[in-house]
Amino acid sequence: MDSSSSSSSTQAQSQPDFDYLFKLLLIGDSGVGKSSLLLRFTSDSFEDLSPTIGVDFKVKMVNTGGKKLKLAIWDTAGQERFRTLTSSYYRGAQVQIDFSVYDVTRRETFTNLSDIWAKEIDLYSTNQDCIKMLVGNKVDKESERAVTKKEGIEFAREYGCLFLECSAKTKVNVEQCFEELVLKILDTPSLLADASSGAKKNIFKQKPPEADAAASSCC
Amino acid sequence: MSRVHCTRAYTIVRGSVQQRRDVLPEPAGDGGVHHVGVVQRPLRLVAVPGDEVHVGEQELEAVVVERDHHPVRGLVASVDDAASAFGTPHLLHFSRLPSFLPHHATDLTRRRRTGGFLATPPSPPAASASLEERIADAAAAAAAMASTSAASSSSSKYAKHRRIGEEEEEEEEQEAEEAEEELERFDDFTIASSWERFISEIEAICRQWLADGPNILTQKGAESVPSFDNLYVVKRELKHGKRVYCMEYHFMKSAKGKHSYWDDDTHSMQLSFGVYEFLIIAPLSASGVVLDDPESTKLLSSVAIALSNCGSNWPAFVPVHDPSRKAYIGIQNLGTVFTRRFEADRIGSQVPIRLIHLEGLHELFLSKFVLSSTDFPARVKVNFSMKLTYRTPEYDYYNEETLVSEANESIAESEVANHPKKQWDDDCSWAEWYSAEDPVKGFELTAIWGERVFEETLEMAEVENASSFDADHWLLHPIVSPYMVDDSIGKFVGFASQLQLLVKAFESSAEAQFLEDFVADTSGQENSKSTVTVPPPSVVDRVMKDLFNDEVGNSNYVEAENKYGRAMKGAPSDSLFAQFCLHALWFGNCHIRAIAVLWIDFVREIRWCWEESERLPRMKSTSSIDLCTCLIHQKLHMLAICIERKKSLSREKGTDHAHEDGISNSVAQNKTRKGSAGVVPSMMLLNTFQEMHAPYTQDAFLMTEDMHEERLHAAEAFGNAVGLSGQLERDVLSSDMSAFKAANPDAVFEDFIRWHSPGDWVSEDRAEGSSGWPPKGRLSQRMSEHGNMWRKIWNDAPALPVSEQKFLLDPIREGEKVIHYLETLRPQQLLEQMVCTAFKSSADILNRTTYGGFKLMKTKMDQLYATLASTLKSLQGKSDISDLSDDLKRLCQVFEHIEKLLILAASVHRKLIDAPRLSQAIFADYFNYYLPKMGTSLESVCYEKEFTAKEKVGMHERDAVSNLFPPPTANQSWRKVLSMGNLLNGHEPIQREIVFSVIERISNGHYSSPTPLSTDEQIETHRMYISGTSNDLWVALSVTSWD
Repeated sequence: MDSSSSSSSTQAQSQPDFDYLFKLLLIGDSGVGKSSLLLRFTSDSFEDLSPTIGVDFKVKMVNTGGKKLKLAIWDTAGQERFRTLTSSYYRGAQVQIDFSVYDVTRRETFTNLSDIWAKEIDLYSTNQDCIKMLVGNKVDKESERAVTKKEGIEFAREYGCLFLECSAKTKVNVEQCFEELVLKILDTPSLLADASSGAKKNIFKQKPPEADAAASSCC
Repeated sequence: MSRVHCTRAYTIVRGSVQQRRDVLPEPAGDGGVHHVGVVQRPLRLVAVPGDEVHVGEQELEAVVVERDHHPVRGLVASVDDAASAFGTPHLLHFSRLPSFLPHHATDLTRRRRTGGFLATPPSPPAASASLEERIADAAAAAAAMASTSAASSSSSKYAKHRRIGEEEEEEEEQEAEEAEEELERFDDFTIASSWERFISEIEAICRQWLADGPNILTQKGAESVPSFDNLYVVKRELKHGKRVYCMEYHFMKSAKGKHSYWDDDTHSMQLSFGVYEFLIIAPLSASGVVLDDPESTKLLSSVAIALSNCGSNWPAFVPVHDPSRKAYIGIQNLGTVFTRRFEADRIGSQVPIRLIHLEGLHELFLSKFVLSSTDFPARVKVNFSMKLTYRTPEYDYYNEETLVSEANESIAESEVANHPKKQWDDDCSWAEWYSAEDPVKGFELTAIWGERVFEETLEMAEVENASSFDADHWLLHPIVSPYMVDDSIGKFVGFASQLQLLVKAFESSAEAQFLEDFVADTSGQENSKSTVTVPPPSVVDRVMKDLFNDEVGNSNYVEAENKYGRAMKGAPSDSLFAQFCLHALWFGNCHIRAIAVLWIDFVREIRWCWEESERLPRMKSTSSIDLCTCLIHQKLHMLAICIERKKSLSREKGTDHAHEDGISNSVAQNKTRKGSAGVVPSMMLLNTFQEMHAPYTQDAFLMTEDMHEERLHAAEAFGNAVGLSGQLERDVLSSDMSAFKAANPDAVFEDFIRWHSPGDWVSEDRAEGSSGWPPKGRLSQRMSEHGNMWRKIWNDAPALPVSEQKFLLDPIREGEKVIHYLETLRPQQLLEQMVCTAFKSSADILNRTTYGGFKLMKTKMDQLYATLASTLKSLQGKSDISDLSDDLKRLCQVFEHIEKLLILAASVHRKLIDAPRLSQAIFADYFNYYLPKMGTSLESVCYEKEFTAKEKVGMHERDAVSNLFPPPTANQSWRKVLSMGNLLNGHEPIQREIVFSVIERISNGHYSSPTPLSTDEQIETHRMYISGTSNDLWVALSVTSWD
C-alpha cells in the first residue's frame, strides 16, 4: 500500500495538472456538426468550419467536485475514407468515451450510427466499461427535423448510452452534454481508477521513465 | 430378592429389562436352565462356584451369564423357583462346575449391596498359568469396581432416560434407593486391577461419546474420514499395562437414507460387516493389530463389557493376526436378545479352486450357517448381491506402433527411430510443442448385480456365466494420473511450466540495456549459473529453419475471434513473432540468455529477408496493421508490406520503358482516363454526363501503433494552431484527388465531393427520378465557403493515377526504421511483448483442442482469457517489474490448472467419443474434485482426498464403454488363466465382491432399542462379504445369535 501511494504521488508530482484523464472521441457522419460542437464546448464560439480533414484534437480541462479532469477530445472526420483511421483512436489504456453525434435533420446520419459506428465501437474498443453518449445535433432547425427525440431515446436505451439533443449553433444543451458526461464519469469508480493519474503514464510510451524521475527530482 | 447359587466362576450380568416379560426365562432342555435376555442396565458380578447370588425381581429378568465376556449360550444359571418367577425372590443356581477352577468363595451378597461387581472372567485354558492370579485380582478389584461410582450412577441415569417400559416408576424408585446407597459407599480404588481400570476407562470414553452424539462430536473436532462424505472418526488413546491402544469410533453425522452398500461412500468395515457406526480398538504399534489370541479376546471383551455397561449397541472390532490378513474379530450387542459376532480373514494366495467360483463361495456361506444352528431348513433363501470391477488394460502404444511399422515396411528405419512411440496426443493441438502424459491412465468399470434371491447352489453357476451386460448397474471411474494434483515443480511440463520460466526471464530482463549483453557475458559472474546452457548453434539453426520455412505458415493466421484475445496485446498465434515466442519457450529452458541468442539470430534473419526483398514468412503483406497486436508484430507487418512495396518498386523499374511507351501518347492527350477501379454505379459527372469512375487509391494510414501515437502526440502538442496534425490526412486527400482527377479527366470539384463526402452535396432534386440533367444541387455551405481547404487542395492536385504518384509511405525508409527498431529493442520491451504473446498463443493453441465442448471447460477457458486479458493489460507500459511478476506467477498457476484440465478433457473426450454425455459427466466429476485446487493462492492445496467419483453408465452407453476393453490379443490371452467368470470382452474382473445374507423373520423379536439393521421384524442373521480375485480372497462374516 505504501509503495503504491508513494509511487502515485511521484507521478502526480511529475504531472501535476490534472487528477483524471479521459479520452473523448467524437464520431459520426460527416457534416453532423462534430467540430462545431467541439468548438462550442472548448471556446464557446460558433462558426462554419471547413470539413475536418482527418482528425482534430483539443484539450478541455473541467473542474468538478475539487477534481481536475482533463478531457482529451479527438474530433474525427466523418468521411468514409478516413474511417479506417478510427481504430487508431481507440488505442491506449486511457478511458474511452464515445461521443456519437448525428444530425436531427438528416435521417441517414442517425441510421448510420447503428449500422456503422456502433459496430466500429464494438470492434475496436478494448475497454469494457467505456461510456457511450448519443447526441442529436442541430435542434435549432426544428422545422427540418427528421429524427424524433423519441427515436433517439430508444436508440440510446438499446445501446446503453447517455442521450441528449443539442445545438452547437444556438448553444442549447451543449454545456449540459459535457456536464452530464462528467457526472457520469465521476459516478463510475472503476473508470476513475483507470483514469487516475496513476494510469495515465501509458499515453506517451515514448517518454522514457528517466524523464519522470528528473521531473520529480527538480520539484 | 432371589438367591443365585453359583457353581462356577461366571460373570453374572444383572440389570433391568424394560421390555416385556415374555422374553424371560423359558424352560430349556437341561434341567431348569433358563435363557435370559440381554441386559439393559447391566451390573456385573462375579460368581464363583458355590456362590449364591441374590437378584432383584427386575434384575432377574435380565440375568445373563457370561464366560470370557461372551454371553454363554445354553443356560448356566438356574432359577430356584421358576414358578414364582415374578414378584418373589429368586435364587439362581449355577451348575456345570469346571474342574480346573479353584473354589473361591466370595461374599456376593455383601457386594451386591455395595452396588455391583465386576471381575475377571476366567481366562481361556491357554492362559491358565495366570489364572489364579487374575481371579484373585478380580476378587480384590470387585469392590473397587463398584466404586466407579460416578460412571455407574451416571449410567443408571442414562439408562433411566432410555427406559420406556411399564415399570418405569417402580424402577425409578429403586434407582433412587440405589443412588442413596451409592452415596454412602466407601470408594476404594486401591484394589482395582489394571484391567478393570482399563474397562472403566473405555466405558468412560464411550459414555462421553454416547452422550455427545454425532453433532457435538463433529463440533468437538471429530475428523472426517478421507474420501467419505458422511463418515467421521474420534480417537482416544488408552493405556493398559505397557501397551497403548487406540480406540476409534466411526460414526455418520447424519443418518443415511436407504442406500446400497455398494455405494462408494461405504467404509470397508461397513461394507464388510453390514454395520453403520463402529468402534475399532487396536494397539498403537507398527502393525496396528493384536497378534496374540488371548490379548485380542481380552481386548474385545473389555470393549464389549464397557459398551454393554453403557447400554450401547455399537459393534466393536479388534484387528487380529498378521496385518496383511486384514483379519478382525468383533462383537455387537443387539438389544436384549441378540448378539452379533464378526469375523474376517483373508487368504492371500493359493485360493482353493472351490472358492474361486461362486458355487464354492455359496457353499462356504451355507456351511457357516449350518454349523451355527441346526434349526435352519436345508434350502435357504440366500440373498445375493455382487459387484465386479474391471479395469481397462494398459494401452500398449509401443505394440501398436510396431504393428503399424511392420505393416508398411517401406518406412526407413531411421524414421522409426525418430518416432519410436506413437503418443496418445499426437493429433492434439499442443502436440507440436510438447507431448503430455495421458492423464487418464485407464478406466475402472464397476458392474453391480443387485439383490437377488437364490436357493440352490447350482443357480450360482449361472450367474457366473452371465455377461456383464446383464448387470443392473454399470459405473465408470477414470483412473486419473496423480500428476494432475501433484504441484511439485517439474512434475508437469507444458505451456504453463515454460511460461513460468519466461516470466523469470522477464524479471531478469531489466538487468541489461541490450540483448547483446546477455549473450556476451558467457562467463559473467552473476549470470553464470551452471545450469544455464544455451543450446548449440545447430539447434538455433533448426529453430530458424522452422520459423522461416516458407512452405508452412502462409500468413493465413486467423484474427483472434475472442473478444479477450483482442484485449491482449500479442501477436496472432500463427504469425512470425508468435511462433518465435513459442519456440523460445522450449529453447534452452527459456532462460534470458537463450532468448537473447535466439532473438539476435531472429533479427539477423529478418534483416536478410529485408535486404534480399524476400517475403517475410507467416506474415500478411496486405490489409491494414492491426493495432490490437503487439508492437513487434505490427512492425513486422509493416516490414512485410515494405518488402512487398520494395519488390514492386524494383519490378517497375525493370519494366519502366515498356510502361512509358505504352502510355506516351496519353501524356500528350491529357484527357485519357487512368487508374480507374471501375464505374461508380448511378453516378454521372455533372458537367459531361459521363460515368463516374472510382480511382484506385493508395493504402493510406499504414502506421504502426507508435507512429499513430507520435502523430497524436504531435496533434496534442501543437493543437490545431499550426495545422500540422492534418498533414498526413491532407496528403491522403491530395492523393485521392489526384487519382480521382486521373480517373475522371472531366470531373469538377463537386464531382469529387459527391463521391468522397456525399454529406457535403446538398441535393435539391425532389425524389421523383427526374430525368433532368444536370441534377439540381449544391455543395454544402461549409464546402462552398471561400478559402475552403478542400477546394484549395483540389486545385493544387495534379491528375495522377496512383501508379504515378509518390508513395504516401516510403517503403525503404519505413523498412529501415523497422529493422532499426528490432535491432535496438531493449530486453525488457522484448520480454514484455513475448510474455503477452506467449500467454496468448499458448492459450490459443490449447483452445484449439477438441474436448467435446464440455461446458465447464469452456467456461474455464473463457475465464482464462479474461484473466489473461486483465493481468496482461497491466503489463503494457507499467515499468515496475516486481509488481507484475507476482501477478504473472499467479497467472502461470491458473494457466497450469486449466492446461491440465484441458488435457484431461481432451483425453476423456477422445476415449469416450461415442458417449458424449458420459464423458462430460466424468469430466464434470473430476472438475468438481479439482476445483478447490484452483484457488488463487500461490501455495498448492494438498490433496489427501482421492478422486473416487463414479459415473453411472446409461444402457445405451454400455457399448461405447465396453469398447474401452478391447478383446485381448491371442498373445495376451494365453498369458492369463481365466478363472473367475463374468468376462467382459475377455477381461476378467480385477475384483469381485459378493454379499450373501440371510434374513430371518423374528416371531417375537422385540428389541430394547431400535437397531438400524432390523426393519420391524426382520433381522439379517447371517451375512458374508467376500472380496477377492482368483488368488486373493477376503471373507467377512457376521452372525447374529440368540444368547
